[in-house]
Amino acid sequence: MYAHLFSFFYLAQEAVAEETTQAFSLVALSNQLVNGIGIVGILLLTGLGLAITFGVMRIINLAHGEFIMLGAYVTFWMQSTFGMDLLLTIPFSFLITGAIGALVELTIIRRLYGRPLETLLATWGLSIVLQGVIKLIFTAQLKYVKSPPYISGNLTLLKDAQGSPAIAISYYRLFIIFVAIALLVLTGYLLNKTDLGRQVRAVTQNRDMARCLGVNTSLIDMLTFAYGCGLAGVAGTVISSLKSVSPPMGQDYLVDAWMTVVTGGVDKLIGVLAGAFLIGESSSGIAYLLNDPTARVIVLAAVIILIRYKPEGLFTIQKRG
Amino acid sequence: MSKKDKSTLLNGISRRKFIKYSSLAVGSGILASCTGAGTSSTGDEELGENPIKVGVMYSTTGSIAIVEKSLQDATFLALEQINTNTGPWEGNGEGINGRKIQKVVVNPNSDWDLYNQMSKRLIDEDKVVCVLGCYTSASRKSVLPVFEEKDSILYYPVYYEGNECSSNVFYTGAAPNQQITDSIPYCKENFGPKGFFVGSDYIYPKESNRIAKAELEKIGGKVVGDEYSPLGTTEFITIINKIKQAKPDFVLSNLVGDSIPAFYRQYKDAGLTSDKVPIMAYPTTEEEIQAMGSEYATGHYTSFNYFQTVETPENAAFVEQFKAKFGDNRVTNGVMEAAYIQTFFMAQAMQDVLKDGGELNTQTIREATRGQEFQAPQGLVKVDPDNYHAYLYSRIGKWKEDGQAEIVFATPAAVQPIAWSQTLYPGRVCTRPVPDTRSSPIKETGKDLQVKYLEKT
Repeated sequence: MYAHLFSFFYLAQEAVAEETTQAFSLVALSNQLVNGIGIVGILLLTGLGLAITFGVMRIINLAHGEFIMLGAYVTFWMQSTFGMDLLLTIPFSFLITGAIGALVELTIIRRLYGRPLETLLATWGLSIVLQGVIKLIFTAQLKYVKSPPYISGNLTLLKDAQGSPAIAISYYRLFIIFVAIALLVLTGYLLNKTDLGRQVRAVTQNRDMARCLGVNTSLIDMLTFAYGCGLAGVAGTVISSLKSVSPPMGQDYLVDAWMTVVTGGVDKLIGVLAGAFLIGESSSGIAYLLNDPTARVIVLAAVIILIRYKPEGLFTIQKRG
Repeated sequence: MSKKDKSTLLNGISRRKFIKYSSLAVGSGILASCTGAGTSSTGDEELGENPIKVGVMYSTTGSIAIVEKSLQDATFLALEQINTNTGPWEGNGEGINGRKIQKVVVNPNSDWDLYNQMSKRLIDEDKVVCVLGCYTSASRKSVLPVFEEKDSILYYPVYYEGNECSSNVFYTGAAPNQQITDSIPYCKENFGPKGFFVGSDYIYPKESNRIAKAELEKIGGKVVGDEYSPLGTTEFITIINKIKQAKPDFVLSNLVGDSIPAFYRQYKDAGLTSDKVPIMAYPTTEEEIQAMGSEYATGHYTSFNYFQTVETPENAAFVEQFKAKFGDNRVTNGVMEAAYIQTFFMAQAMQDVLKDGGELNTQTIREATRGQEFQAPQGLVKVDPDNYHAYLYSRIGKWKEDGQAEIVFATPAAVQPIAWSQTLYPGRVCTRPVPDTRSSPIKETGKDLQVKYLEKT
């Protein structure tokens, strides 16, 4: 009996001790969650282009990752030839990947509207071709992209007892999320508040009717697809200096971008933000508590279960029949 | 197209249509693998009569292509020098005893299963006498049964986790005792006892870290963290946060490929500096430094047998010849050098066989390769006749601002290779009889093995 009491006391003591270490790691956990915003930014940035090509146009674009890669290579090329700053290459990377996107739409996608399976195969093939072409031009070696020197350092939100940063996030990560949200807002504005956006939505909702009303549907299709690809290009540029630039790099983002878009739902652009936030923070949290490979498995499994029960995504309004 | 249209479309696909589409998918997949992962017997140079067929198996597409392409480049340079009587081969005549080497090049597309199939094809259909190739341990493990079953020879140029000793493989990269054994005490003495271990999630980094952790604990250090990320990952926020929290004295990195530049960049971006927490790495070489930008690597360390800055006349010539062939902006690194020297080990062995009037086959090449010496860019190296690994130098380089390494530690001569990690398997060695009977080579000596250096003869 006494022994039991004693062991109970001992356990309680241990629990208190644990709590103090827990309190300590609570700061670390919140640091992890703050940094999870960095992952959210990248997911949002890479998912945004897909939200246009898939969400608005319903094109299953498996070459999306390669457009991100193209954006990164545009930046690499402009930096190494003209010595341009990374930020200055953003508009060029948008225009060049957008132009390539327009070309792809004209030559391939246009012929496959309404045939999702063929589109899937064609864009998959396209991704192999684009990787091959980039490898022929730039070789398979990893490429160096210089990051903007004025965006460096960390924003410290909380310091620990020794005065070293306990909760901090790097300015570049903040910059990424800023770009991502700015693009999201811009895209939302374009789609909802401009004539062009209205036409885009009209075409996607009822192509024939839109055509009858005098909308140049094929031009709208091309512009929309090009815009989606251009966004992917900007994503490639912005993340190129934080990550690695190589021909297969896009594959890494393709799955994540798809997960983001599918989770958030594609009817509303805000769904992409919600999806990015959910996936970014949950994978960051799980990775902190367990480890990276396990977090990936758990998040992927959760997305599969989600698609099974809510195929239209979490954040969709009731669709009309 | 609206959602409704899409759902009716998908529902409306009949079984026949499904079969049609899926066979299309399979077909284009095969087509892709044929074009991407084909074989070619390059005949750009005149090969003369009766060339010697040698397989070259490196992926030039897929996720590992970044590294393997440069191994292929180094191998091609060596083969060209052998065929044209230039470089280290000067004075031996064009080819080997007048017979040129015909390279049979395959591209396994970074797919471990394809390595297995391609090696079968090289041996059975192309009838090559031996194969130069592979990079990751996963690919080596995939082809090992093929080379053992068909009794053919693979020259494998990569530092690896050890604990293997096949009579069908010559391991010309570093064994654990030539890379890990010196770097761990160096870290403890110069940085402190607390180590944080990171790596990509596959055989080599896990095994290599397992050995390194054991070595650190043996000398009284402490492992404060051990984290892995999926191969090819470029997102390191979590691992870096865990490093910050664990406050180690140094980080030991076994990340490979694409992950390396991303990790170093985010490391610095998160405010970790090389003067406070330096990274000691094995797979980070001149190539990766060039890709990440040297400002991210300055002050970090790599343990390797060779650096571009090694001061030997052979290295000066190697760097110059490599740049002349592949471009001035290219760098040389340790794995490339290993791929280069193993090609000469092979050529010298073939030359010995042909000089004695022998026939080139697995048995003759195997026996002739044992004990081959070569004045390599890193210094004098030798194939150990007992365990088929190579005597190599052990060096530690500190990265400078120009992307090259300042060599801060080097052994006086090439170190004798020990195939099995002595910390994990004390006293276990690999000794093969002459001639090789392909029996089990493992001997438990039960002794503490002394470090032996290659003596110049």
